[in-house]
Amino acid sequence: MINLRDKGAEIWENQGRVGRIVIAVCAIAIVAALPFMGGTFLNTPVADYESVLVYPIAMFVLMAIGLNIVIGKSGLLDLGYVAFFAIGAYTMGLLGTKTGLNTWEILPIGIAMAMFSGIILGVPALKLRGDYLAIITLGFGEIVRIVALNLGALGRSEGIQGIPTPPGIFGIEYAFDSHRIYYWTLLILILLAIWMVRRLSARRAGRAWESIRQDEDAAELLGVPTFKYKVWAFVLGASVGGAAGVIYASKTLFIAPDNFTLQISILILACVVFGGMGNIWGVILGAVILGYLPDRIRFLSEARLLVFGLVLVIMMNLRPDGILPRKKREKAIVKKDAS
Amino acid sequence: MSKSLIELKNVTMKFGGVTALSDVTFDVKEKEILGLIGPNGAGKTTVFNVITGVYQITSGEIIFDGKSLAGVKRYKITKRGVARTFQNIRLWGDMTALENVMTAADTHKKSGLVSGLFGFPISRREEKRDKARAQELLDFIGIGEYSDRLAKNLPYGVQRRLEIARAMGAEPKLLLLDEPAAGFNPAEKVELAATIRKIRDAGYTVLLIEHDMSLVMKVSDRVVVLDFGQKIADDSPRNVQDDKRVIEAYLGVPEDAS
Repeated sequence: MINLRDKGAEIWENQGRVGRIVIAVCAIAIVAALPFMGGTFLNTPVADYESVLVYPIAMFVLMAIGLNIVIGKSGLLDLGYVAFFAIGAYTMGLLGTKTGLNTWEILPIGIAMAMFSGIILGVPALKLRGDYLAIITLGFGEIVRIVALNLGALGRSEGIQGIPTPPGIFGIEYAFDSHRIYYWTLLILILLAIWMVRRLSARRAGRAWESIRQDEDAAELLGVPTFKYKVWAFVLGASVGGAAGVIYASKTLFIAPDNFTLQISILILACVVFGGMGNIWGVILGAVILGYLPDRIRFLSEARLLVFGLVLVIMMNLRPDGILPRKKREKAIVKKDAS
Repeated sequence: MSKSLIELKNVTMKFGGVTALSDVTFDVKEKEILGLIGPNGAGKTTVFNVITGVYQITSGEIIFDGKSLAGVKRYKITKRGVARTFQNIRLWGDMTALENVMTAADTHKKSGLVSGLFGFPISRREEKRDKARAQELLDFIGIGEYSDRLAKNLPYGVQRRLEIARAMGAEPKLLLLDEPAAGFNPAEKVELAATIRKIRDAGYTVLLIEHDMSLVMKVSDRVVVLDFGQKIADDSPRNVQDDKRVIEAYLGVPEDAS
């Protein structure tokens, strides 16, 4: 199988500054134009192409990028990622219906709430490793859902209804069914998340996470404040999940505990692993495919999850490191001298 | 006599019923190469582990640079100036040689995650400085041409040297080398001995665990011998080689002598 990851990296590395900007702008333009490129054959049985682009695809991509910081970069198995999504969504739901704040004002609050809960979970949980950490995060995900299910203020199983849509900005109106606008909003958040991850990867934080993932003891003995950077990974992952939650709530206008089950955590985890842990482009591709596929094959009705599982098993056997695995090759030394 | 950089005072380390170190006292002077030898299981690596904070000692005291290391977090011990290599190579395989060294160098950075994210000048300046320093260190150790290669793809001998360069990246005062010559051929050992002396001449203090006697005797200023967790000798290489207890520890007691 050809190595897509290396091909892409090679083209990118061989470009100068101008070339890179051109590639980036073109790529963003193409992705931004996706809502216009739909055909009816892309519609899923339950929703049309444009709405599928928003949820699950763009939403999954955003969350997968966030979870990738935790799992792919730092190697911390988090099975309760949906909790941060839920916290973002409930912050939007609660503040949006009870106060006069609008979506854009709530967005930073929702992100802050998710980050704060990331600290609350991370500080005790990150003293543990591997399977034990996975179990604790799994528990946390369930706790958040069950609290939402039982707390009167959060509407119990009814959830929260009548969440307002975002107010228009720059003359752009957010109507309930203007999927394109939501898609572009999410696209901006996705680009911000990509920028954040790429930026950090090349600096101290990225090296610290990478060393923790590969050999945590060696990292600590060579002066990496491992605990601090693990909490940071959790908090940044949570912030992306929280942002996704806020937008989700003001898109669907109605949230309930059923939207935030363990299944979402597992599905996002599958996106990360399927696409290629640690490689942001792989993770995005994984999220696009796994977001789209289950809905597209809904015509199979009951057999659909079976087929979905089968696809996963076959793919993971063919490409155990994911579709686009993390960096494996080395920069040619010659190239470095030339630049 | 120059002053001690690190002092182990009556250090005892027990694991349940097993005593790995028993009342061990010795020091390492500044700018000294101290060889730490002893038969397998004598407790040499345990000494490294108690100094770097992997284990908390059962009793005794470890003073580094005038301050006790009791209860200090591991990464802070490194920040204070102790860095080590590992007997079984533990590089970060998916990172390049340069990144391995830079990661260790990050411990002294003032800029953290937030200034890195927003590209504050301090972060950029430190990044540039450390990158240059890391390359210098690789050149110093003699593996400069491998800086862009992933650590896991490097030849064995280069990996061993990279372990040393990485530890030096943390700017330690005390460098702990755990069997740096393991698996080396005689020519490589000679080269390594020269490197270790070069490291000391650059201002580092070296505590060296090594099984290869000729190497230890050649580079060390002083040798401490451990046997069954106890110190049995602490002298110049010359005298240690003639020490009766050391010979017994390595070769056993002759039957007619007992």
